[in-house]
Amino acid sequence: MTPMEKTDLLQGTLDLLILKVVAFGPVHGYGIAQRIRQISNDVLQVQQGSLYPALHRLEERGWLAADWGESDNGRQARFYKLSAKGRRQLAAEEKSWNRLSEAVQLILNTAQ
Amino acid sequence: MSLWPRKSSRVRDPIEREIADHIERMVAANIARGMDPDEARRRALIDFGGREQVRQQVREVHLSALAESLRFHTRSALRFIVKAPGFSLAVILTLALGIGANTAVFSAIDAIVLRPLPFPHGNELVRIYQHDSKGRDANTFVAPQRLEDWNRMSTALSGVTGYYKDDLAELSGPLPERVTEALVAPRFLQVLGVAPMLGRNFAPEEERFGGPNAVLISYDYWQQKFHGDRDALNRKLQIGSWFYSVIGIMPRGFQYPDREVQIWAPSPPDAPYAQRRDETWFTVIGRMKPGVAVPQAAADIATVQSRLGKQFSKPDAELTTETVPLKSTIVGDSAHSLWLLYGSVSLLLLIACSNIAALLLARTAEREHEIAIRYSLGASRRTIVLQLLSEVVGLALLGAAAGLGVAAGAARAFHLLAGRLPRAEEVSLNWTIAGYSLTCALFTALLCGLFPALKGTRRGLVQGLASGSRTQASTRNPMQWTLVGAQVTLAVTLLVGAGLLLRSLDALGHVSPGFDPEHVITLQVSGSWGETANMAAVNSRINRTLDGLRTLPGVDGAATAAMLPGVSSKYQMELKVDGRLDPNRRVMADARTVSPGYIESLRIPLLAGQDCKEASPGTFDVLVNRSFANLYLGGSAAAGHILENAAPSNFPMKGIVRGIVGDAREQGLTETPSPTIYSCFSAPNPFPNYLVRVHGDPMQMADAIRRRIHELEPARSVYAIMPLEQHLSDAFTENRLRTMLLTLFAVTAISLACIGLYGTLSYMGRLRQREVGVRLALGAPRQRILTGFLFQGLRVAAVGCAAGLALGIVLSRFLRGMLYGVSNLDPVTYAGVVALLLLVAAMASLAPALRAAFLQPIKVLREE
Repeated sequence: MTPMEKTDLLQGTLDLLILKVVAFGPVHGYGIAQRIRQISNDVLQVQQGSLYPALHRLEERGWLAADWGESDNGRQARFYKLSAKGRRQLAAEEKSWNRLSEAVQLILNTAQ
Repeated sequence: MSLWPRKSSRVRDPIEREIADHIERMVAANIARGMDPDEARRRALIDFGGREQVRQQVREVHLSALAESLRFHTRSALRFIVKAPGFSLAVILTLALGIGANTAVFSAIDAIVLRPLPFPHGNELVRIYQHDSKGRDANTFVAPQRLEDWNRMSTALSGVTGYYKDDLAELSGPLPERVTEALVAPRFLQVLGVAPMLGRNFAPEEERFGGPNAVLISYDYWQQKFHGDRDALNRKLQIGSWFYSVIGIMPRGFQYPDREVQIWAPSPPDAPYAQRRDETWFTVIGRMKPGVAVPQAAADIATVQSRLGKQFSKPDAELTTETVPLKSTIVGDSAHSLWLLYGSVSLLLLIACSNIAALLLARTAEREHEIAIRYSLGASRRTIVLQLLSEVVGLALLGAAAGLGVAAGAARAFHLLAGRLPRAEEVSLNWTIAGYSLTCALFTALLCGLFPALKGTRRGLVQGLASGSRTQASTRNPMQWTLVGAQVTLAVTLLVGAGLLLRSLDALGHVSPGFDPEHVITLQVSGSWGETANMAAVNSRINRTLDGLRTLPGVDGAATAAMLPGVSSKYQMELKVDGRLDPNRRVMADARTVSPGYIESLRIPLLAGQDCKEASPGTFDVLVNRSFANLYLGGSAAAGHILENAAPSNFPMKGIVRGIVGDAREQGLTETPSPTIYSCFSAPNPFPNYLVRVHGDPMQMADAIRRRIHELEPARSVYAIMPLEQHLSDAFTENRLRTMLLTLFAVTAISLACIGLYGTLSYMGRLRQREVGVRLALGAPRQRILTGFLFQGLRVAAVGCAAGLALGIVLSRFLRGMLYGVSNLDPVTYAGVVALLLLVAAMASLAPALRAAFLQPIKVLREE
């Protein structure tokens, strides 16, 4: 399966994916990109050009908190974690995404 | 928590660091996949894509967030300002006055006290005085030869120069015109560090005796005389019988030694008449070498002088030197007045601040509901405090903008009112002042906005109220009353200061000077120090003019004097009485030189003996005042004693006491008369002050007097014609200005405090409406409600007043040197302030109290 391009992701979807991945625990930017790729079985590949602006935008909105810390290999990295506000936002977005995808699925099923 | 340590060493841009880290991890992953390091790095860089672009995008995310929050706060601040226009206008006006007045006074301090003199490295310039080491003579002017010695021998100064002034007549036009000339020692412009705007400085041969006559002219004189024509450089001025080439035009702002000087000409040190070491000519200034401090320079000049003392036992051995920064001699005592005003105006700003804080407290209390709703919508306290603060900052910025307008107006008024103060022309608005005003605004906003914002957003208080539809603020509200009390305290302090100054000015108006300045007109006739080579000629010229004036119809008397009576000046001199010098009992006197007819023209009473006559060769007639006669000559039998100056002088004086006159406040109206001697000599200098007593309004005689002098002296100019009373009044310009401004500040302060009292009491009345309504419905007498409210207001005023008096007593010590005829603890002033304050406080409390007492209970209870 060929990886999907950034443009193929729905507006806001990347934000949702990032929040979800970060919800598992503090992680740096590279780690986020890797996990999205691994979990989606290489279907979703996030471009750095979209990842970092998105991370900083979520940070500005107060959904993510970021700080420098030491990673497993001893290097300094900027780690992101979910704030309380981000957790609420993730719940809300998951809910609306599920409703949306159910609705889309419903239409696709009926059309068959 | 070890995962989240704060990392302080962020040497590089954090965004760049984050990107670099990402790339390193990609490289590591590639190597793990089996690529060689170079290839791994190359691939990672390709895969990452536009690195700079990513960085730019991330930065834009942050910038737009910042812009968004700025836009939000600006918009909400504007909405707030527009929504409550009355409140906003009150705050803006209060701040405009507070910040404007503060900025205006600061601009004067900045220009006059803080900024260096308008010369390059102005702080290197010093003034050097010489003093008679035994204090026998108050003359501090320096002989040309000594000035040259100082310049040659000093190691701490890069140059020493000096000047003295002549008032001359310029004769190239149809009428003689007065021209003020500074005669300058060599190196004058070099020491000041100034070059002519057009033309050139003096050439060496022009600074030598017998060299070509050359002058520099001031910018204003260039405009006035030559209409700004560049051809002026080749023109000549005729001064007396000499012609001078104009060699240069000085830059516009150059006004040294003072703004009156129009031309500068060299005074050659090698002239035969400039060789005596006991001459007293020059006001000396010097420039310290870079890095030299004033004490060093002072020590250096003192050493040089003691070396000169060994070489010339007379007079140098008897001279000491004093070296002080030039700026302090120019600014003088004005700095005191200015700091006083700055302190007052800062108190005023504090009052305005606490006034606004009280208003804001009331407003945020009214907005509790809105704030509670914002909390429930998930806003953080930080956001709400920021929003409340940004509203205040918005108001403060508008206030500061209006305040700059106030300050600009004040600067213009200052030029009109205080034109005679030193450096007054340098006062102007500039970027420093605008920056100061802005800082002031932000400081003010924080000071008056932070507390109400923090208090109004306390969560516990607010969240409980969110459910209720009616707001119920505490009616006790000690904070609000504390603010009002603080305003009253500060206002009372200012009132005490203003009251003391007013009483002092009033006392000055009732001083009996001991002479009668009414109907006396003063003037000067141009002359030159060069004429003093033939003193007899100068003397007969001046006596001829005096005689001409005395025969003019409408003139009652005419005289000359070296110094004007009642205008601050003192010339202390030690005297020998009848040839004896008693080292245990020194005879010190203020020595004044006047012409015969002086005491008659000024109506100073002759108590014993007779009026003096013009000097005969070798001796002077002398009059002494009562203090001198009582202190040194044993009272009324003074006539016949012989007085001589104790210090060696090139101008030895030997006088016979002819009479005793009443004590007059010659040295200034604020000075009690000291022992004084009057030497009778019509020509103390080539351009003495003429004092002419006339019938009626002095200025109506001005033309006749001018015409008469022109007939007698067609080649001389007449200048500085004005009533003597004008001089006396001018001597108090600074005093009057200071009193006027402090009074203005105090009146503003008490008005603000009253507005604060009124506003707070009205607000309390509104909050307690229901309670008062119920009490009235239950039959409480209206009178009790009225006195209750009135008492609440007056109690705060009384407490504030007591604190203000205490503060006033402490701070009035700073006024001591400025008060005349009244102590800084003057009970009348303090009592007056208390009475005034309680009166206005009662007036301010009455309206809200009446409103509360005459509430219609039915109406209030129905609204509930």
